[in-house]
Amino acid sequence: MFRKTAGFRVFFWVSLVLIGAFVFLPLLWMINTALKPTTETFSLSFFTGPKTLDNIIGIITNPKIMTYLKNSLIVSFASSAMATLVSAFAGYSFSKFRYRGRKFVMGLFMMSQAFPQAILLLAIYVLMQKLGLLGSYWALVISYVVFTLPVGTWTLKSYFDQLPDSLIESAKIDGAGHMKILWRIVFPVTIPGMISIAIYGFVWSWNDLLYSMTLVTDSARKTLAPGLVMTFLGEGSTNWGMMMAASIVAAIPVTIIFVFLQRYFIQGLTAGAVKG
Amino acid sequence: MNSNLRKKGLTDAQVGVLLILPGLAVFCAIILYPFVNAILMSFTDRSLLMPNYKVVGLENYIKVFSDPYFGKTLITTILFVIGSTLLPFTLGFIWAIILNQGFKGSELLRGITLVNWIIPGTAIGFLWSWIFNGQYGILNAILTRTGLLETGVAWLGQTNTALICVIIARSWQMLPWYMAFLLGGLGGVPLDQVEAARVDGANNLQVFRYVVLPSMKTIILLILVLGTIGNLQHFDLPWTMTQGGPARATTTLSIDVYTTAFDNWNIGKAATIGTIWAVLLGLFSFVYLKQVKDSD
Repeated sequence: MFRKTAGFRVFFWVSLVLIGAFVFLPLLWMINTALKPTTETFSLSFFTGPKTLDNIIGIITNPKIMTYLKNSLIVSFASSAMATLVSAFAGYSFSKFRYRGRKFVMGLFMMSQAFPQAILLLAIYVLMQKLGLLGSYWALVISYVVFTLPVGTWTLKSYFDQLPDSLIESAKIDGAGHMKILWRIVFPVTIPGMISIAIYGFVWSWNDLLYSMTLVTDSARKTLAPGLVMTFLGEGSTNWGMMMAASIVAAIPVTIIFVFLQRYFIQGLTAGAVKG
Repeated sequence: MNSNLRKKGLTDAQVGVLLILPGLAVFCAIILYPFVNAILMSFTDRSLLMPNYKVVGLENYIKVFSDPYFGKTLITTILFVIGSTLLPFTLGFIWAIILNQGFKGSELLRGITLVNWIIPGTAIGFLWSWIFNGQYGILNAILTRTGLLETGVAWLGQTNTALICVIIARSWQMLPWYMAFLLGGLGGVPLDQVEAARVDGANNLQVFRYVVLPSMKTIILLILVLGTIGNLQHFDLPWTMTQGGPARATTTLSIDVYTTAFDNWNIGKAATIGTIWAVLLGLFSFVYLKQVKDSD
């Protein structure tokens, strides 16, 4: 697209080095700090001095933090599964059925990303309190479904749109019911879309701080993000080695998912967000 | 059960409505009802500490608008949103152009770049608090060693630097997001038009200005609006890095709503701030919806 003129070469290399440093060095610094023994935390050595896994081991043997991690896994898996299913139903309905109010509901779903979360949280808090769900996993699982609903519905709708109506019609003629068509014909062909939405939902839930620190305050049910904030910020911790190790532990699950399912992930990110 | 549905004679339209019900129920419970309820709460003196409350009309609005802090919060929010949208957009665009050159390892770099975006905001907040740390932070170490500064600066502890630090951290987090979209956009630039411009004697800058930019107009507008909405909502980084401080220097609207409701327990006032904020967001969302509609 661009000719490799002298000017472009300068631009290319200067940008590559400067933006590259900005993008990649901080994370390396995090890893570097986490791997230093406590006595070395404040040294400026960059992967050169003595290394230890003490910080990482300190985090993964901390029963409190492991409870937070377990809670995060439960909540993120549950809300991701629920969001994918709910979005798939909705996307299928929008794609293949025609009824009054369809466009209106589509518009509602699309707008849901634009409602400020913090203001919704006020009334969600009161609602969950009334329902007795405050402090339970359910409060988070249900709330997180909304993060994924617009993106999920639109992404999956575009998958269903590509499915020829004749396929569904012929299944009907063969006597298959709606549910059977859905599980046997419709869902299987959209598995890539479903995976990308499931990942999207998982990452959103995993990374959320605002809802989780508000709706669940009991430390037995607390998830990882608010748990770490409470553990380190609450005590005004200056144990940076531990904090960096904790950050790495919190980042690992989503990073693993990303590494293995990158293709689906980028698809979900761009396709979903463009439409939703 | 499936064939039962058919035997009972559900029409296609009814099945369609049934399928939409779970999503609609969640939407009503978690978005519509809370939104309406929050607006109603803004007209009450509701507190999370007391079960009883009464309607106070516009009192909260008068209080909020006459509160000198509120104007400051608005300005902080606008500065945060502009900085945290334009900086990562610009850097992300350059980064996308670099990676779009398709050199050896560019695919790998793209993948690693996205890790910054995918990890939890809490971890990012911790990381940048450490980098900006006033005593032992690496930034101060670099600046004092190279002689750019004589003594270290408490970057997050000063009112005139804290917001910039949060914007930089947010830019680091969001750069990959802009990059991903812009790489997609660059992939869709019609190469025959680039060639035609070359034949007409266009240089790189002119190709960028008259071919690349126009063909990416839609995606650029879209990510700027989506990015703005995201930043208007953003909570994690100002919270983990500075908790809105020092002296409210990083208190954006989302931080303000949170602390008013859950630190001061004044949920009525929090709802008022939230409602005003929702109007702001509504304006941006309107543009966004129109944009998506036009591109369809």
